[in-house]
Amino acid sequence: MSTPTFNPATLPSNDNVNPYAFCVDLNGQWFTQKGKMIAYYGQIRFEALSAGPLDALVAAHFHSPLYAHDWIVAQGQGKLLLADRGFDVNSYDLDDGNLTVRAGNLLAFEPGLELKQSIIPGFLTLIGTGRFIAASNGPVHFVEPPIRVDPQALLGWADCPSPCHHYDHSYMRGALGVARSVFGIGGTSGEEHQFDFTGQGTVLMQSSETVADTNTMLRDLEGQIGMLGVGGLQRLQGVIQQRLAAERQ
Amino acid sequence: MLAVDLMGETIRALNGSMVAYDGQMNFKRQGMTGGEGLRGALRRRVAGESMTLMEITGQGTVYLASEATEVTLIPLQGDTLFVESESLLAFDGQLRTGVQFTGLRGMGTGQGLATTKVEGHGMVAILSDGPAIGLEVTPGVPLCVDPHAYVAHRGQLQQDFVTDVNWRTVLGQGSGESVQFRYQGHGLVYVQPAERGGGIMEI
Repeated sequence: MSTPTFNPATLPSNDNVNPYAFCVDLNGQWFTQKGKMIAYYGQIRFEALSAGPLDALVAAHFHSPLYAHDWIVAQGQGKLLLADRGFDVNSYDLDDGNLTVRAGNLLAFEPGLELKQSIIPGFLTLIGTGRFIAASNGPVHFVEPPIRVDPQALLGWADCPSPCHHYDHSYMRGALGVARSVFGIGGTSGEEHQFDFTGQGTVLMQSSETVADTNTMLRDLEGQIGMLGVGGLQRLQGVIQQRLAAERQ
Repeated sequence: MLAVDLMGETIRALNGSMVAYDGQMNFKRQGMTGGEGLRGALRRRVAGESMTLMEITGQGTVYLASEATEVTLIPLQGDTLFVESESLLAFDGQLRTGVQFTGLRGMGTGQGLATTKVEGHGMVAILSDGPAIGLEVTPGVPLCVDPHAYVAHRGQLQQDFVTDVNWRTVLGQGSGESVQFRYQGHGLVYVQPAERGGGIMEI
């Protein structure tokens, strides 16, 4: 077994180097998530989104202040290698379409696409025409609605309405079920809650329940706190204290 | 996993990496000096590039593995391979090892101030998180690598830091790619498709 070796001329152009690494033929600008660059040839600079000269680009293509800290712009010319913790990496082309993907799994996208926050916490929506790169733990499977999927195995969805939550009725029934739904405590099998997709479109699933980044959910919840008034915040504080007390026991 | 056929030769491998063997094998833990002499051992201790190896001799096949990571074989023909001691799995007995001080390079990535060098004629097996990718460096075509994805390099390469640390980095709004290794000269750099955690330069 010999290791494949590459130079700037033999590296693939906008294609996978191996299932776990992707080579972008950079000529201009790409949005990339922080820390996913493993190597590059050529003249490439990495700028935080807050950099002054990028204001116009960010204003036009990046509508998610919540995630702005995780993203940078790579600009210049050269070959840029991207990878993510040894996960499978794939590129997808959007042609005047829309696709929603788990925030932690999106590695990079072309400025032809516009990024927006999805209504479902922890997901980002890309709209427009262009290419993006996403990581998955294990190969990606494309399935068609109607389907119910495990939230952890869900990678994203395209061209179909946002999913709704689905709970198993039998699990919620009975005194114990009521206690669970009110206090959120007790044993959970993890399979009583699914995302329900209906309508036309495609659902993307990964073949594992390893979520790339659990931090994004927390960040999303934090972002929504701003919508609450004083009364709501006090109530939330009460709920959190109750939960913490229950966890300590 | 790496399978090594032995016909009476000797290889040196990471202590505890043997998972199976058939035939007649002799395992000998190498002493403190690891075949580098007392001075070499001292250098290694000072450099923090600790490496515990065992010698395997015999007739048959020995299977080596470490934490289900990928194994890459690199043939050396008289040249030198620089690799982190934690990424080294096994190598031919007649190869020489030593410690190379690299200055500030490893500081930020939690890999210490030194790296291990392997030189001579023979095979080296290195470990990587995901299959390793070799990237050529030729004069006029420098390569920049994320320190967390770096595995090993060989050839006549100069290594230096590229930093674009500025006031934004200090404010915590850095690009996350503020520190890179830049390689110039003639040689080959191995990277892995994953980034090691740790180190102080998480900026």
